[in-house]
Amino acid sequence: MASRKLLLGLTAGRRLRSRTRQLFSAANLLEATTSPSLPAAAATAQPSGGSPAALLFSPRTISSTRQAAQSAGDAPGPSTVDHKLIMPEDEFHKLADEIIHDLLGKLEEYGDSIQMDGFDIDYGNQVLTLRLGDLGTYVLNKQTPNRQIWLSSPVSGPSRFDWDAATNVWIYRRTGANLVQLLEKEIGELCGTPVELS
Amino acid sequence: MMLRVVGKRLLGAAAGGQASPALAPAARRGYHERVVDHYNNPRNVGTFDKDDPDVGTGLVGAPACGDVMKLQIRVDEGSGRVVDARFKTFGCGSAIASSSVASEWVKGKQMEEIVAIKNTEIAKHLSLPPVKLHCSMLAEDAIKAAVKDYEAKKVKLAKADE
Repeated sequence: MASRKLLLGLTAGRRLRSRTRQLFSAANLLEATTSPSLPAAAATAQPSGGSPAALLFSPRTISSTRQAAQSAGDAPGPSTVDHKLIMPEDEFHKLADEIIHDLLGKLEEYGDSIQMDGFDIDYGNQVLTLRLGDLGTYVLNKQTPNRQIWLSSPVSGPSRFDWDAATNVWIYRRTGANLVQLLEKEIGELCGTPVELS
Repeated sequence: MMLRVVGKRLLGAAAGGQASPALAPAARRGYHERVVDHYNNPRNVGTFDKDDPDVGTGLVGAPACGDVMKLQIRVDEGSGRVVDARFKTFGCGSAIASSSVASEWVKGKQMEEIVAIKNTEIAKHLSLPPVKLHCSMLAEDAIKAAVKDYEAKKVKLAKADE
């Protein structure tokens, strides 16, 4: 009698686990509406158990919302993730160019409005350079192989932003920082005048 | 002498065949002399046996990005002190210099101390320009990865002994 109960317990456990796996892949398919590459990625996705091997082999956007709970950020090992699975290159360029050009326009207006000494904004070779006189220099550029936007800040140093399809923003996974909000906060504080970049 | 030439050529080849930084046309945008020094005389280039239980290996970066760093530490089990380090880097002059500096700074220190080494310190030491701060970040990551690898190894060995 006892052994039959044990057997039932075991199969129930197995059923629960497979249900979570189904829920997991259903969640992936929901995200698929924002990116054409995700259905293909979802088909090959493995449940992210949090082990280093799983992190290396599961496409990053799928684990991005889960990674918020883990320490994550850029995986420390050299990347064996095929970044083409995260998003197609032309989509990356479209999203990244959009945000960079948007920031460029708003920062130019900001520069005109605050009339700060040494304020200079330059966009060349797809690299945005914002000089704030003696206060330091910001550099913002695309890192296409990683599908990331890289920022160098005189305040917070280097950071790397990934596109978060769930919230449609660029996020630095290590700190959870939002690119636009980070720039607004830092530049506003540095220059002494608030800036609206969203 | 021969070894150093080979080392230099490897690093030069690894840097994607970039022209030596000393040939920069205008001095005002040249590399800081410390970067040039580490590029020409890199400290601790080499490899430890990564299966050695006293060795922690940190491998960071991605070839597609043009930056891969491998930093290895040899730890004295008794004291928890890093007794030796080796590095190999594929990347720009700043990346090579950052990892060379990292390999110097970890020597003789405790593991708790080396994980506290910040990319900002490396960047300041080399006077890295804003666009190269990412290299110093990678060096910091390499140190942490090496420590993590060493500790994971110890755990695994301890489990095997049980």
